[in-house]
Amino acid sequence: MSRKPLEEGYFVIHEDGSPALLGSYSKAADQHYFPIRKQCPITEEPVETVELPTEGVLYSWTYINMPVMGATEMGFGGTGVGQVDLPNGVRVQANLKGKEGDWEIGMKMKLDLQPVVKKGDTELCTFCFSVA
Amino acid sequence: MIDDVYVIGVGMHPFQRTAPPVRDMYFTAAKAALNDAGIKFKEVGELYNGYLGGQMLEGIGFAKDLGLNNASVTHVENASATGSTAFREAVRAVRSGDCEIAMAVGFDDMMKMGMSMMKSMAGEDPTIDSIILPAGFFAMWATRRMYERGTTVETFAKIAAKNWNHARHNPYAQRQSDHEVTPEEVLASKPVAYPHTSKMACAAGGGAASAIVATKAVAERLANGRPLVKVTASQSKSEHYTEGHIFMGAVVGPADLTTRTTQALYEQAGVGPDDVSFVHVHDAFPIEELMYYELMGFCGEGEGDRLVEEGATSIGGRIPFSPDGGLTARGHPGGPTGLAQVWDATVQLRGEAGKRQVEGAKNGMVHMMGAGSICVMHMLQRED
Repeated sequence: MSRKPLEEGYFVIHEDGSPALLGSYSKAADQHYFPIRKQCPITEEPVETVELPTEGVLYSWTYINMPVMGATEMGFGGTGVGQVDLPNGVRVQANLKGKEGDWEIGMKMKLDLQPVVKKGDTELCTFCFSVA
Repeated sequence: MIDDVYVIGVGMHPFQRTAPPVRDMYFTAAKAALNDAGIKFKEVGELYNGYLGGQMLEGIGFAKDLGLNNASVTHVENASATGSTAFREAVRAVRSGDCEIAMAVGFDDMMKMGMSMMKSMAGEDPTIDSIILPAGFFAMWATRRMYERGTTVETFAKIAAKNWNHARHNPYAQRQSDHEVTPEEVLASKPVAYPHTSKMACAAGGGAASAIVATKAVAERLANGRPLVKVTASQSKSEHYTEGHIFMGAVVGPADLTTRTTQALYEQAGVGPDDVSFVHVHDAFPIEELMYYELMGFCGEGEGDRLVEEGATSIGGRIPFSPDGGLTARGHPGGPTGLAQVWDATVQLRGEAGKRQVEGAKNGMVHMMGAGSICVMHMLQRED
C-alpha cells in the first residue's frame, strides 16, 4: 500500500518511505519556521522552502484520552501528543507514537508517519514522532 | 486612562450543558442588561454581537426581538475572546464619540458546535492542523511546568477545586456543586489529558451575557444611588515572535502575549498588580490560572504554587482569581464568556456579589485569550 501526506505542503515522503517536514528559512532573520510561511514573520522578507531536521528533543508531552484523528470508534484508547525541539530552533507539535509512560522530557525523538485514513490503495498519513 | 466610558448595565442567561435555544438566551441576557441599565433598546447607538458557529448575521436576527432601533450593528468573532472583543468595540464606540450608549451581547452553544468537531475526529475530512485536540496543548504546558518547577498535580487540583467552590455562589454558573469540592474529588475525576482531569477542564455548554457602556453623563443620570463602574483600560494584542514559537495549533499561545497585554493595561489604567482587587482569566485548565499569577505580576516567576498553598487566590485571600467560578466552573461558551467576566466584575465592584463578594473591591481585571493568538483585557474601577 502506498503512502501519501494527508495534506500537501506540510511534509514529504521520500522514495524510501522516510518523511521530512517542510519549513521555511528566512535569510534575513536567520530563522527557520514550521509550517511553511508565505514570507518571514519577523522581517517580512522572502523565505525559501526547506526540509527540516528529522530528529529533535522532546520539550513536553501529554496523553490525551481520546482516539486519534481518523478513528471511527469512540470511547476507548488515547494518543500521545508532544512538542519536539528541532536543532534549528523550530518547535513542532505532533502526535507521539507509543503508550502512556513511554516519554520523558529531554528524550531524543525522530520523525515518523501515522496513517489517518485509507483512500483506495493509498494510506493518507500525518506526521508524528517516535522515540529515537 | 480611558476617561469617559462606564458600564451601566449587565445581564446574563445561566450557562448550561443542555441549553435552551440560543435566541431565547440572547433575549434573556440582553433584556436583563437593558433593565439593569434602566434604558430601552432604542437608546442603544451601537450593538456588537459576539458568537461562535451559528448562522451568518445571526445576532441581528435575535436583536430584532429587542426592537428595531436603527442602530449600527456589527458581528464579532475572536474565538474565546469573542465576548471580550465585543465589549472592547462597545467601549471604543463610546470613547470615540460615535454614540453615547453601546451594547455588547455574547451568545452561543458549544455543545451544538462540538458535533461538527466530533464528525471530523471520526474521519470525515480530517485535516493536518486539527489532529491535536485543544486539551492537549494546555496539558503540554502543564507537563512542562511540572518538569521545570516541580509543580504537582495536587496544585492543579487545588486551583480547580477553588473555582468549583467559588461557583457554588454564582446562580448563573454551569457547575454549581451541592457540596464542597475537594482536590481529591478533582483528581479522582476522569482523565482527559495528563495531568488534567475532567473536573479541571472548562465546562462546555451554552449561555449568553451582555454589557452596556455609556458616557459618564449617562452613567450618572442612571446611577440610581449605585456606585459607578468605570472602564479605565482596554487592550488587545496578538502574538509576538518568541523562542520556540509555534505557528500551527498553538491554542495556548506564547506566554509572552499575556505579559505584554497586561503591562499595557496597567500602564493605561495607571495601576499595578498591588492595586488590583480580583482577576478573571482564561482558565480553560488550572495550568493557565497558575501561570497567569506570575505572568500578570502577582508573584515572581515560579512562585505561583506558593499563592495556591497560601490560599491567596481564593475569595478572602490577597488576590482572588475567578471569583465567579471561572471557565472551569462558571463555564465557557465561546461568545459569552468574556462578557460573563464583565458581568461578575461589575457586580463585584458595585458590592452586590453576595456570598462571593470580594470585600473592598476597587479594581477588577478581566482577561481572555482567543485561540492563543489574541489577548483581550480590560480594567474596571469602582467610582463612588
